[in-house]
Amino acid sequence: MLPTDLLAVFKRKGVIWPRYAKLSAENLEVAGNIVETYKSHVGEKKKAVKEFVGELEDRGFDYRFVRGLSFMLDRRSIFKCAESINPVDLRRKIFQATEKLGLPTTPEQRSRIIAAIASELKMPAERVEESLYADLESELVLEKFDPPSSEELLKEYNLSLTQTLLFDSTELNFTASGNWQRIFFAIKKLGLIYEAYQDGKLQVKIDGPASLFKLTRRYGTAIAKLLPVIVANPEWTVEAKILWRYTNEICRFQIESWKHGSILKKPHLPEAPYDSLVEEDFAARFEALRSSWLLRREPEPVLAGKQVIIPDFSLEREGSKVYIEVVGFWTLEYLMRKIEKLKKTSVAMLVIVNEDLACEKIAGLEEHPRLNIIYYRDQIPLAPVIRYLEEAFRGTQVEQSKFLKSLSIVFTEPVISYEEFAARTGVSLEAVKAVLAENPPKGYVLTAKSLVRKDKLKQVEKKIEEQISQKGKLFLPEATKIAETEGVEDATSILEALGYKIAWHGISPEKAEVFKPDRKQIK
Amino acid sequence: MIRLWFDKGTILLSGEVGTPYGKWDPRVGCYRIKAAHYRDVLDYLKESEVEYRDEVQSLPPLESLKCTVELRPYQKEALSRWRRARMRGVLVLPTAAGKTYIALKAVDLLKTQTLIVVPTLDLIDQWRKRVKEWLKVECGAVGGGENTVRMVTVSTYDSGYLQAEWLGNRFMFIVFDEVHHLASPSYMQIAELYIAPYRMGLTATYERSDERHKLLPSLVGDLIYKVNVDELAGKHLSPYTYEKILVELDPDEQDAYENEMGVFRSYLNEKGIVLRSAEDFQKFIMFTGRDRRAREALLARNRALKTALNSRAKLNFLAKQLEAYRDEKILIFTLHNDLVYTISRRFLIPALTYQTPKEERRQMLESFRSGEYRAIVTSQVLDEGVDVPDASVGFILSGTGSTREYIQRLGRLLRKVEGKEARLVEIVSKETVEVGISRRRRLKTSKV
Repeated sequence: MLPTDLLAVFKRKGVIWPRYAKLSAENLEVAGNIVETYKSHVGEKKKAVKEFVGELEDRGFDYRFVRGLSFMLDRRSIFKCAESINPVDLRRKIFQATEKLGLPTTPEQRSRIIAAIASELKMPAERVEESLYADLESELVLEKFDPPSSEELLKEYNLSLTQTLLFDSTELNFTASGNWQRIFFAIKKLGLIYEAYQDGKLQVKIDGPASLFKLTRRYGTAIAKLLPVIVANPEWTVEAKILWRYTNEICRFQIESWKHGSILKKPHLPEAPYDSLVEEDFAARFEALRSSWLLRREPEPVLAGKQVIIPDFSLEREGSKVYIEVVGFWTLEYLMRKIEKLKKTSVAMLVIVNEDLACEKIAGLEEHPRLNIIYYRDQIPLAPVIRYLEEAFRGTQVEQSKFLKSLSIVFTEPVISYEEFAARTGVSLEAVKAVLAENPPKGYVLTAKSLVRKDKLKQVEKKIEEQISQKGKLFLPEATKIAETEGVEDATSILEALGYKIAWHGISPEKAEVFKPDRKQIK
Repeated sequence: MIRLWFDKGTILLSGEVGTPYGKWDPRVGCYRIKAAHYRDVLDYLKESEVEYRDEVQSLPPLESLKCTVELRPYQKEALSRWRRARMRGVLVLPTAAGKTYIALKAVDLLKTQTLIVVPTLDLIDQWRKRVKEWLKVECGAVGGGENTVRMVTVSTYDSGYLQAEWLGNRFMFIVFDEVHHLASPSYMQIAELYIAPYRMGLTATYERSDERHKLLPSLVGDLIYKVNVDELAGKHLSPYTYEKILVELDPDEQDAYENEMGVFRSYLNEKGIVLRSAEDFQKFIMFTGRDRRAREALLARNRALKTALNSRAKLNFLAKQLEAYRDEKILIFTLHNDLVYTISRRFLIPALTYQTPKEERRQMLESFRSGEYRAIVTSQVLDEGVDVPDASVGFILSGTGSTREYIQRLGRLLRKVEGKEARLVEIVSKETVEVGISRRRRLKTSKV
């Protein structure tokens, strides 16, 4: 974030945006120049670096841009007091001496004092002079510098510019493709308030407690601090209201990842650590089961009224989705509040509560049959979790079956794959198979992977018979080809349905012969 | 039952009860009330005979005070007016008239959790000492790296503003020292985000040039007491003299000055720009962000001004003065840090600026008070509040031209010590715009 006097903006018809530094050849060159200056001035005084920066301004570059870049580089630099003697101690000595010998009003009196100190400290008078204020900002020496590339520098500058503009924001709206746990944790930690709603994507509006009473920039700094976690995502949109400090007018500010993502620095966020070992251990053991459930950490937020819940895990399997929330330390009041919040959601949520850390009697909770609470001590037990998952899955199946049966579908196509059918109706494969097996559509035969119309079956049979009578023998690859040209993918199950058998000679399908058992015998 | 609790600088009220102060907050599904209305809401609920549970306060434990302050008659009068105004309001007294003691007496009177808000870190130190000395109790501090909350706590305006969310419900009484600061757009939120029903503002300079002091009555209470320097000078404050000395620039300085000023003036003439007010000038500065020649003109003017303000002739004059006042305690004021360090190097006088390390600063002021150091040169850090009782001579080498700055700097010299006569000497470069800056300041303060 930059000092506000270095913030350069465009403002037109109620819209405001920072004068971003495009990654143009010219800007990259200026950035490169300044980086080189810092590099070549390691071991020299800060004022020497700033002098060079000043020269760039004199050459006609916007001073706000040049100083802004320099400001960014100061943060990658370590400036240190180069003198071995502590200037504070030295000054104390000198001022005390001054009091004894009297304020020097002539150069001679002054040299006498300095000489006295110099001989006391056994150093030359010039070093005393140099050390006197060696701890002032401009006298510090550039000791270390971590140089960015020109492009990095411009991107960092642009991000800082955006944050500096946000100092004046009164509210911010955003969408993001991930990082939810971090984002909402930051919102809470920064003392902000959010409201979330679904509008195609999850939209979040942010301001602060006192924003209710009047437009205030009070939360601008906190909003600016939140920005990096949002733009760290591959996709995001940000819109803010800016109460522009110089004119007090409200302006709109808007940026989006597809347009501005390439010129803003994306902060690198290491993968979020688990909240606790318990969760990490649970995830590892669950993965080891290799169940058909897909376990995801940090799933997308679940809307609960205007608030969100970000569960620890989501588990998905063919249209069933269950969320898991692990509760470590808790009080009854905390748990009740959590549960009240959970009740506002419309999803299946499994709450796993640490019994050992229970701060209050948990008896009262048993009166809430609606909640799916599992208790644990050292380790989250897998068995009850899986039992719950299976139940949820069965529940989904039953619902899906009911749903399927309620659809009045007339099948007309010759071949219908179960998978495609499941996808089209939005239910699980199992449910599709179960419902069709229970109630097979008239004029169709059920194979392992698809529904095949009887006349199509006949047609395949006819072609196979033709081949057999022509060649005497038919091998599997040819039979498969015939089925496929007729649009049936699972040839083996079709063959089976038609009463053919396959005689394997070795493992090669080339030598596997397709035949009807009765006819073979005749031969 | 209705429940009230504190939420980050505001009060939340659960239950379907509208009060004249609450506003429905759809984000959380509760009524939200400004913290400053805490007393009003409680009064309203009591009057309406509504049962409620108040969980707003989170006060540090009370400690026992032993107040040894004896007030002077005018201080007593100020305090009793404040009590009559339901323990709210602003008292205007000249620097060195003992504002601190009135506030300490008020703390003793209320015997409640108190926050004292001050503009600088040096003032935190000073108030802490006073609290310990006159109330016989340890004092907490928030700001400058410290963060301890006690029954009596001192904080800077900065920390009080930044930490309102966490401090807002911990005090019942707030004292705003140098209360004119409170009227700024950010600091005024301290008044809004804290629940403290009892409030006192103290200042020597109530009016602000931006007129924002008109907000103070709603934030702290009305201006209820005012006394000026002349009413107290002699009896309660040191008598003082003021003189302005015009110093001619050295010939080369005069040339440089005329040259640079010429560049600036001819640019303005060429463009037909007239700079009459501070706003005009602000606009011109914004314009220099886009126009290179305008910026060059501005830089030339700044260099000219610097020549006038920091002139060698002035320093030579100062040297003579320092010789003349060998036995006095001296404060030297400048506008820019550069000049502070020039003077410090030349005369080997301790320099006090915002860059001075905290410990050194503390030690420096201590040594100045004890008499170990006889002079200090400073830019603006000493302008306010810090007490240097027996400083008797002040030199102003350059200033902004604001009346407040002048009054505050004068105030550093006015603390009453028997037999002391304070002298404030302003050294101004002849035939430069600096003369105008100095005149502007004095014109407005002729009444002080």
